[in-house]
Amino acid sequence: MLLLAFALAVVILFVVLRLLGNPVYALISVGATDEEIAAAAARLGVDRPILEQFGDYVLQLTRLDLGRSFTNNLPVGDEILRRLNVTLPLTVLAFLLSVVIAVPVGFIAAWRSRTWYGTAFSAVSQLGGAVPVFWVGILLVTALALNARIFPAGGFPRTDWEDPGAALLALTLPVLTIAIVSGSDLARYVRSATLDVLGQQYMRAARATGQSFAGAFVRHGIRNGIVPVISILAIQLSTTFVGAVIVERVFALPGLGDMLLVAIQEQDFPSVQGVLLVSTTLVLLLGFVADVVQRIIDPRLRASVSGNRRARAIA
Amino acid sequence: MITRHHRNRLTATLAAATASLLVLAGCAGGAGSTGAAPDANAEIIVGSQNEPTNLDQIFGGSSGVTEVFTGNVYEGLFRITDDAEVEPLLAAETEVSEDGLTYTFTLQDATFHSGAPLTAEAVKYSLERFIGEESIAARKSQLSVIDTVTAVDDKTVEVTLSSKSISFTYNLGYVWIVNPEAGDLTAAADGTGPYSLGDYRKGDSITLDVNDDYWGDAPANGGVVYQYYADPTALNNALVTGAVDLVTSQSNPDSLAEFESGDYEIIEGTSTTKELLAFNDRVAPFDDVNVRKAVYSAIDREQLLDAIWDGRGQLIGSMVPPSEPWYLDLADNNPYDPELSADLLADAGYADGFSFTIDTPDSGVHSTVAEFLQTELAKVGVTVDINIITDDEWYEKVYTDHDFEATLQGHVNDRDINFYGNPDFYWGYDDAEVQGWLAEAEQADSTEQQTELITQVNQKISDDAASVWLYLNPQLRIVRDGITGVPENGLNSLFYVYDIQEA
Repeated sequence: MLLLAFALAVVILFVVLRLLGNPVYALISVGATDEEIAAAAARLGVDRPILEQFGDYVLQLTRLDLGRSFTNNLPVGDEILRRLNVTLPLTVLAFLLSVVIAVPVGFIAAWRSRTWYGTAFSAVSQLGGAVPVFWVGILLVTALALNARIFPAGGFPRTDWEDPGAALLALTLPVLTIAIVSGSDLARYVRSATLDVLGQQYMRAARATGQSFAGAFVRHGIRNGIVPVISILAIQLSTTFVGAVIVERVFALPGLGDMLLVAIQEQDFPSVQGVLLVSTTLVLLLGFVADVVQRIIDPRLRASVSGNRRARAIA
Repeated sequence: MITRHHRNRLTATLAAATASLLVLAGCAGGAGSTGAAPDANAEIIVGSQNEPTNLDQIFGGSSGVTEVFTGNVYEGLFRITDDAEVEPLLAAETEVSEDGLTYTFTLQDATFHSGAPLTAEAVKYSLERFIGEESIAARKSQLSVIDTVTAVDDKTVEVTLSSKSISFTYNLGYVWIVNPEAGDLTAAADGTGPYSLGDYRKGDSITLDVNDDYWGDAPANGGVVYQYYADPTALNNALVTGAVDLVTSQSNPDSLAEFESGDYEIIEGTSTTKELLAFNDRVAPFDDVNVRKAVYSAIDREQLLDAIWDGRGQLIGSMVPPSEPWYLDLADNNPYDPELSADLLADAGYADGFSFTIDTPDSGVHSTVAEFLQTELAKVGVTVDINIITDDEWYEKVYTDHDFEATLQGHVNDRDINFYGNPDFYWGYDDAEVQGWLAEAEQADSTEQQTELITQVNQKISDDAASVWLYLNPQLRIVRDGITGVPENGLNSLFYVYDIQEA
């Protein structure tokens, strides 16, 4: 199934991109003659029949080669690796931070749902999930970079991670931006999962056997409540990855999202395909890992296929 | 009670946090005022929105690569100065034959960054590469007058032309001399300039290192980094926080106020970028001079310039900016006069107006301009439909297929009046006299004769309202205090960085 979906993605991507336009027009400037335009098309190989181009591309893919950029002729794979230097830490750190924010906030919002701060927590998480990510970014830049001058307003060290301190400093605001928005989202799921668990019979039964609330929650509650949350986590991590596209632009970070945007503008098809294939693969892998983890935690999912379906339905 | 207590502690924490933020801010603000002696080792960070698509001028590197490489990493046989004058660079001596068809260049003793010497063979290779089959360089057709290039000896190159070309040396100012051994230059560089290419990070930056073996004067700085920003706000933020020392071209006048007061200098030079409403002169009703003039006179360009550039920039009445020798002040040749416009329309048989479509690229300010034109032309009974297209669609639909009525475009090149001598150009202006004058001008014996002829062309296309030249963009650079030696004018994106220094 997965492989079929992947193959389909490759075909659709390839065909759609080539219907979108002619990459030659991104390279020429006013004054170019018809002959020059034809010569450029020949150099890029886009003057050949589309089937032939597709065949070549698939052959390349089987060698794990993503091809070369239409614009600067550099290998797309190397460029993606360089960009992952930024995007991967950004995504992972933002994701971890959002979990760190979401779990306590969501738990308290559920556990103390009738107190003023429980309500406040859930209101704040609703608000955080509702604002657009670029707006949070602009707000943070204005407050902490332009006014307070604590963090850089954008950019990434040209030496990448040679100076980890500088790299981390450059990533702080972007990470915070994504974490606030996706953490708020996540907190709402944690809250509803916790509410669900707290209302269950087994919690009452566990308390009746003399266990403390904390003991009962840790032993039975978390294990039950976390299963749907893991599906959400996997989806959330993918969204974080995608959200990086916007955040990278706001903070002028040379990451994968920025590469994708520029490649689309320049009609650099090999780069667009490369980025989309790599991110699709990562997202598919994440889904797979989430499935496996769920099965480890919840034995019912191991036993039957229907259980698996149920988990997906919740997701 | 407990709640109250917590709240107080929260308030206290917040207050403390705010206080420490203020202290930090104070520290950051205090730093930065250093001594006044120029620092030849200081690295200059240039902020730009004009990232080259690749690093080769003959394969679509566009104006971005001119900004970063021409004169800095690569040198031509000639250099075009900030005042648009031609002076010798790698050609130490130039001899021109009586008939003006043979040029003999004696080369400087220069070396490429890789260590190879500059040879006549390298010049031959570079010139032939520029006009070769694969090249899509902007000036290729003008330089295609080159007939043969011969390496007479190691330091002497002889170029013969198929016809006389008075602007030959000027055009050579844009042609890089590259090392033939360097191979593919779309992501690498090997030139003779004062800087070598240090690091190329697409989507981020290009680093230029000082070339210690440079044949000429050493640069006034210790290296230059071009830091690229796709988002204009991010670039502004970088300037405000000191992440860049200067901005090569400010495209958004709204944010100028921020830099007018305080620790920045705004340099306003002249650019060569002209905003055009270009008609398709082949099709009705724009094949009629009166209709074109009527549209021209219906537009209050002063108000437009004010709206777009906040009073900066300049009104022009033709394709020629003041920096070119054949400039005439034609700003009022087709004056803003709605009554005149209505009369002209009536003469042309469109007393009740007509309607047409402006194909408008979605980049830059074009769509704002289109809306303005829509309002202005409605006042004389002309209905404008705005069709927004991408830049690539523009090249396909308008530029290649000539499938349009009118369009908006910013023409950045210097000396590009000769497009009006090409009837196959996208706007299709076809005037035998103009074509004759332009051809004659290129064959002229002296620059005086050339200037005289092109001045005639200038007057004629303006009288014919071949296009509507709306205004000339200003060239706005913003420079932080303490940085000097920044070039003023924006001649087709040329930006020499070797005189920039930090005091």
